[in-house]
Amino acid sequence: MNGQARALIESMPNDIGTEAVGPLSFDEAFTLHHRAVFRTARAVVRDSALAEDVTQEVFLRLYRNLNSTPGEELLRAWLLRVTLNVARNTLRGQSRSMVRDNEYHKTTAENGFFVDAPEDDYERRMAIEEARRALDKIKEPMRSCLLLKQQGLSYREIATSLSLKETNIGSLVARGRKEFARVYGKIGGKR
Amino acid sequence: MTRCLDEARLQSYFDGELSIDLMESVTSHLASCVTCAAAARELEEETALLTTALSAEFEVSVPTETLRQRIDAAVLGERVAVAQATEKRSGLAAFFSGVLNFGTQRTLGFASLAVVIAFGAIVGVVMMRTGKQITSNPPAVTPLKSTDVQQLANATPPSVPSPTEESVVVPANDDVPGVRPEKFRRNKPSTNAVPQPVKLFPGERSYLQTIARLDTTINSNKREMRPSLRAEYERNLAVVDRAIAATRSAAKSNPNDPDTADFMFAAYQSKVDLLNTIADARVSNGPRH
Repeated sequence: MNGQARALIESMPNDIGTEAVGPLSFDEAFTLHHRAVFRTARAVVRDSALAEDVTQEVFLRLYRNLNSTPGEELLRAWLLRVTLNVARNTLRGQSRSMVRDNEYHKTTAENGFFVDAPEDDYERRMAIEEARRALDKIKEPMRSCLLLKQQGLSYREIATSLSLKETNIGSLVARGRKEFARVYGKIGGKR
Repeated sequence: MTRCLDEARLQSYFDGELSIDLMESVTSHLASCVTCAAAARELEEETALLTTALSAEFEVSVPTETLRQRIDAAVLGERVAVAQATEKRSGLAAFFSGVLNFGTQRTLGFASLAVVIAFGAIVGVVMMRTGKQITSNPPAVTPLKSTDVQQLANATPPSVPSPTEESVVVPANDDVPGVRPEKFRRNKPSTNAVPQPVKLFPGERSYLQTIARLDTTINSNKREMRPSLRAEYERNLAVVDRAIAATRSAAKSNPNDPDTADFMFAAYQSKVDLLNTIADARVSNGPRH
């Protein structure tokens, strides 16, 4: 898929005229929010290549709905809501097997995401794995609350992203955080 | 002393989600309540743990460039798909290859030559008419007789003026290949004082006039057309007409977008090309059948 995508990209001109609709243009929206979208996607699908697919789909949906997306204030919440939906759907189409985990390490190594020395690489990978295992034990919607909170979203944005009441977010974050500390301590992540 | 803090209130306090008043009351409560102060310390520790644990996940670099390129390509693909949906030219391209397959080299050469000459004539006539319209009433759109032109008329508002130019109907002189430039010159004195209720796009009138003229020429002896060619002609005409209708409604609903008007004119141009090729193929092949 990557080869095809690259060939396609090479055959495309770079200057795509993306219209400025609403307070934020498509380009600005990408520049501001692609990191949050990609990281959230990867935290859910656990695979960099899949997270790229998800990010592409999310911004394509933004492009298609430029006229109906919320204003600047809640755009990130809208994008992350779409991200969570697309990422979960992507995950449903994938088998939760070891193959995917191996694939993840392969692609991240190929893409040069771990550019540190090999020991650091290993340690960081283990740290990510431990955190992911702990997160897996936390029930929804607390898990998503924690993920979005760690990305710096406000309670209002989290509530919009997850279709929850804003007044419940504080409690959900508190419970999720307690649960994470308990599980993560058991796994041995507490050093 | 105020009531002890629940976990949601404490969390909101540390997340900066409380109003200023509530912030102050929580601060003063924490200063005086040992239990809540201990809970606050625990919260801070756990938050630090969470942040550290997830930092590896969130610190992994984001492939911004790759994403930018992929999304640009996807958006471009989306634009192309939309354009193709409105401008169905693939059927037309298939048609041209079909026409050229059964024709001879001479057909090809003649067709291109005639298209060039016809276009020169069209441009000339259009420019002269545009000059006249400034001083006189606009001329009527020429008769739209056949089904395909009716389709076109349906795409435009219904009140197209009635047939007025008899001189447009040129008898098919199959043995005179160079008939087209002459034909346009003959049609020149056609200023007719019929009001123009249909709101046309700038430049659209000339396409409509050209199409009506070519169409009349072709229809005047459609029966002589070879059945296979005729079937192909009708099929491709339907495709082009659909494209015209689609692009015209798009152009109408987006009057400020130059792209939509360009697509519409491209669709009109496709139809003119198609009609020209048919007329030429008939002229050059006709006598031998």
